[in-house]
Amino acid sequence: MNSLSVSEPNPLPNSLLRKLFHAFTGEYFWFYILLLPSILILVGLVIIPMLFTLRMSLANTSVTVIGGHGSLSMPWSGINNYIHLFQSPDFWQSFRETLFFWLASILIEVTVGVAIAVLMNQQFLGQRVFRIIVFIPWAIPTVVNSMMWGMIMDGNNYGALNDLLLRMHVIKNAIVWLNPSALFPHFSWLSHVLSSLGMNTAILSIIVGDEWHTLPIVVVLVLAGLQTIPVEYYEAARVEGATGWRKFRSITLPLLGPILSVVLILRTMQLLRAFTMIYTLEQFGLPVLSIQAYQQAFSFGSFGLGAATSFIIGLVALFISYIYIKRLYKEEL
Amino acid sequence: MLKRWGSTLGVAIGVTVFLAGCGSGGAAPSSGSNHTTGASGNGPITLNVLYMNQAGYTDTVLQDMAKQFETKYPNVKIDFTFLPYSQMHSAILTSSAAPTAQYDVVLSDLIWTGEFAGKGYTIPLNTYVNKDIPNPQDIPQSIWGGFTVKGNIMAMPFLANFQNFYYNKKMLAEAGFTTGPRTMSEWLHQMQVLKAKHIVQYPYEDSWTQAEGLVCDYVRTAGEFGNGNLFNAQGQPVMNQGPALKALNWMHELYVDGLVNPNSLTADEPTAADAFASGQVAYNTNWTFVTGIMNTKSTSKIVGDGVVAPFPVSQGTNQSTGSASISGFQGLAIPANTPQDLRSWAWKWIQFATSPEIQAQHLQSQWPVWSTVANSPQEAKINPAYKVYETNLNAVYNRPTISNYLSVSSIIQQYTHEAIAGTVPVQQAADQMVKQIEALGQ
Repeated sequence: MNSLSVSEPNPLPNSLLRKLFHAFTGEYFWFYILLLPSILILVGLVIIPMLFTLRMSLANTSVTVIGGHGSLSMPWSGINNYIHLFQSPDFWQSFRETLFFWLASILIEVTVGVAIAVLMNQQFLGQRVFRIIVFIPWAIPTVVNSMMWGMIMDGNNYGALNDLLLRMHVIKNAIVWLNPSALFPHFSWLSHVLSSLGMNTAILSIIVGDEWHTLPIVVVLVLAGLQTIPVEYYEAARVEGATGWRKFRSITLPLLGPILSVVLILRTMQLLRAFTMIYTLEQFGLPVLSIQAYQQAFSFGSFGLGAATSFIIGLVALFISYIYIKRLYKEEL
Repeated sequence: MLKRWGSTLGVAIGVTVFLAGCGSGGAAPSSGSNHTTGASGNGPITLNVLYMNQAGYTDTVLQDMAKQFETKYPNVKIDFTFLPYSQMHSAILTSSAAPTAQYDVVLSDLIWTGEFAGKGYTIPLNTYVNKDIPNPQDIPQSIWGGFTVKGNIMAMPFLANFQNFYYNKKMLAEAGFTTGPRTMSEWLHQMQVLKAKHIVQYPYEDSWTQAEGLVCDYVRTAGEFGNGNLFNAQGQPVMNQGPALKALNWMHELYVDGLVNPNSLTADEPTAADAFASGQVAYNTNWTFVTGIMNTKSTSKIVGDGVVAPFPVSQGTNQSTGSASISGFQGLAIPANTPQDLRSWAWKWIQFATSPEIQAQHLQSQWPVWSTVANSPQEAKINPAYKVYETNLNAVYNRPTISNYLSVSSIIQQYTHEAIAGTVPVQQAADQMVKQIEALGQ
């Protein structure tokens, strides 16, 4: 036993050092050197701030000025911030609103986005011009898009949307589209459904504005995916007498799986931390999780709670992405 | 050779990364401040001043004041940062976290006074005020009260903003009224007649979007019903009883009866002011800047028809003042992490900008904080309604100066908004408001 421990000391440190040494001097030397700038940026701008945020979320973090010297004090408080959040009805209300915002947006993107992409994949006159037009909303800065939709959804008679609906006699009085405390008074069935979900007019209105802005990128990605599907598959299906729907269900949709997963992961992450449009139009009136994180930290000075909320957003995004990825690999296998 | 050079470089970079990781651990954000100071005060000095984009004392007015100051003190340069209101608080908060303040002087809203005093973000100015302000009693006590916490003056009053009652006399005349309302029941009657006669679709518009402006209107309305204090003498919230509850019911009823434009629930102060100045509504309750807007041809369609008046009050209440308003005072404060050698210069700037002489130069921009200036012949000439202003100023309610005011305000905003819209019944919303504020530990 003794001889074994003498002859075979713990090999790990030696081996690890040797591996590191070889990594920096061996055949992969330039590989690592070229990768280094990206690693440095990743560490400096992502890893360190992330760890710092995690540390903040586990502390009773506050700004203190002592002796004319300002600092961020972070006395350890364990998981108190997380417990506080999970016990808060406001947090769960924000959580519900965030999930609703994500789910409704994703459903629109997958259905409408794929439908538009399939249409655009057909040969027709002016196809290229149409593709450019569809892509224009994506090029508009988010803040500009938010303000534009603020004007469209102005609650007065002269708001663009109200004016249109009033002229068409769809509504009798203007609707305050961006009111976070109201339901659609003119559509009782919708009000009923929304109230049972705890939703309001503002969140639906913002979803419409946000989708107008982001749908083009979904369309472009799906369109790229469609163009990788070999035409021969469709020809073979046509020879076999498959209908259009059957071709879509059995060829298009399965082969779009990988690109749809990318779209879903990308958009899930964006939607769960959506901030700009909501803040521009509602400030703190529609407290989805990202807004709540900002308010906790920068209005109330509770940086620990703000950091904890941010981490929860990250974990939810990670969980949903994990499900997508797992499902994707399962389908591929 | 190449390999040896490469391994040296690799080790160097590795060490750099390691040290960078160590260094960033618990460090507070650096200030980014740019005070160019000579140690003995001989060199050029730059004072960084945080100010807000707003009407009244605009960026241009402030630049003009700075020019005069720089002429008086050639070795000092005033460097402004202008931010919208929504970013001011977070800018002060993050600057406080820096070892040295990013801003040497900050514009402080009165609702932040309690927090800044409680957390020590700004310094008390008592020593400076006692030494350099010969006649502090010339500033009304209601204004000092907004910036004083436990005897400590946390900011020097700079901007005496408060709300006025505005009405369109032409519309009222069409409805058969010769004057504006003096009581709440008169006001309600006038609004009903204006609507019934189809003179306007919605007689009234206010800024009831879920923001601080809503709290101001709620406090003021409670004041119109007799008491705008949302907390009693023991510091307990009283929104679910008395005038505060009446105010909430009043706001909800106006919404339900279509007497207030439903768009008020998404409107801020400038939006509500525009609705009034463009002749869409007959009434607006708003800050003093509306007087200028409604009387200027380029911003108003009702020039000559807009009247500024005392607020109507519920019969039997507010007899002494004949009005009830809300304060929106702003002061100039010195952050606690402003370097010691700059504090005296920071105070010199504050003293200069808030002085009666400087305020007297800008009477067209803003109501002055000094009573002698407010009652001067120049003010009477520029602002014929100055007596009404005085009445409303004397009738202001201050929002509570408590250290967690912004958390309290957020709760008030949420439930007031829901109560007005009818998503939650008024009494239930008021009870929830009280319950949640009590849970905060107030």
